[in-house]
Amino acid sequence: MNPITADRRHFEDLALGEVIGLGQITVTKEMIVSFAREFDPFPFHLDEEVAKKSLLGGLASSGWQTAALTLRLLTDAFLNQIASAGGLGFSDLKWKRPVMKNDSITGSAKIIELRRSQHHPQWGVLTIEIDIHNQRNQPVMSMKLANLVETRTPDLIAHEQPAQPYDVETGHKS
Amino acid sequence: MTRWFEDITIDEAFPLGSHTFTEAEIVRFAEDYDPQYFHLVGTGAEHSHFGGLIASGWHVVVTGHRKMVDALAAEEDRLRGLGQQPGESGPGAGVNQMEFKSPVRPGDTVTYALQVSAKRPSNSLPGWGILTNQISAVNQRGEPVYHSELIGFSKLRDFKMPLRLRILEALTNIPGLGKLLRPKRS
Repeated sequence: MNPITADRRHFEDLALGEVIGLGQITVTKEMIVSFAREFDPFPFHLDEEVAKKSLLGGLASSGWQTAALTLRLLTDAFLNQIASAGGLGFSDLKWKRPVMKNDSITGSAKIIELRRSQHHPQWGVLTIEIDIHNQRNQPVMSMKLANLVETRTPDLIAHEQPAQPYDVETGHKS
Repeated sequence: MTRWFEDITIDEAFPLGSHTFTEAEIVRFAEDYDPQYFHLVGTGAEHSHFGGLIASGWHVVVTGHRKMVDALAAEEDRLRGLGQQPGESGPGAGVNQMEFKSPVRPGDTVTYALQVSAKRPSNSLPGWGILTNQISAVNQRGEPVYHSELIGFSKLRDFKMPLRLRILEALTNIPGLGKLLRPKRS
């Protein structure tokens, strides 16, 4: 067993429909400029005067920064509490509204799918739907994220599960 | 794309360049945005099924975005050098799909490329076209690192605004009246 994740919630401990509340983070000018300088150096993410004249109407975070900060909220509230075995990717990411300087963002994550891996019995696939809003309760971003989670019963091979009850420990029909 | 909508060729590969990931930057990104034990040093990454430190998938993706920003700026300079006026790209609207395919370890070099797989003029944003962008990343062994499909915008060069819209725009520029006419953002 993996000593790092042994005491965490495993795949079997997760419930469909479970909602995880995320923490809150305030996005400062320094955070916006420092992320933009490294990953999204458009003048309207770097310079307040340019930003005021842009479509965004003021200094706003890169959409990718909003996504990265969401990942941080998710890691703190959830991924570091479960036996996460890494992300598989994400889908339907929508940037709905810019996050302006000094906005605070928070949100929730809901478990919308739990599926045991067919080929890797040591893992299950967890899909969560994430909704993020600002301090005025306006939607900012949403996405679906898929993550691998360690199972407690890696010896159980999903496609070999018999219809009859059987002993999980030995794998033999009881 | 910093090309006019009309000049974008479907399925033409547009190279975005490469990036080599160091252990220090992998850990720095993870400390800020994705502090899971297999993205950090001294937290037992060797116990994960990766067998050691790997970069956050999101780190690899935002680095790809940076490479795209740089490549488009270079393309803009190239077009200006040829005496042409470059096109204009709009903000990203979203990501349809992002699949992480293999982990990135310290010292790995990731090479990124962009292909536009579909384009059509926007119905809701007159003068702009909607692009389906495919961004893919491979490592130094040619193994796929990620594949993504994103929605982007590019300006139309040959667009002539219909008279109806020109009148509406002129009216929205009148102080007070503009607020009433401009469609509310949902």
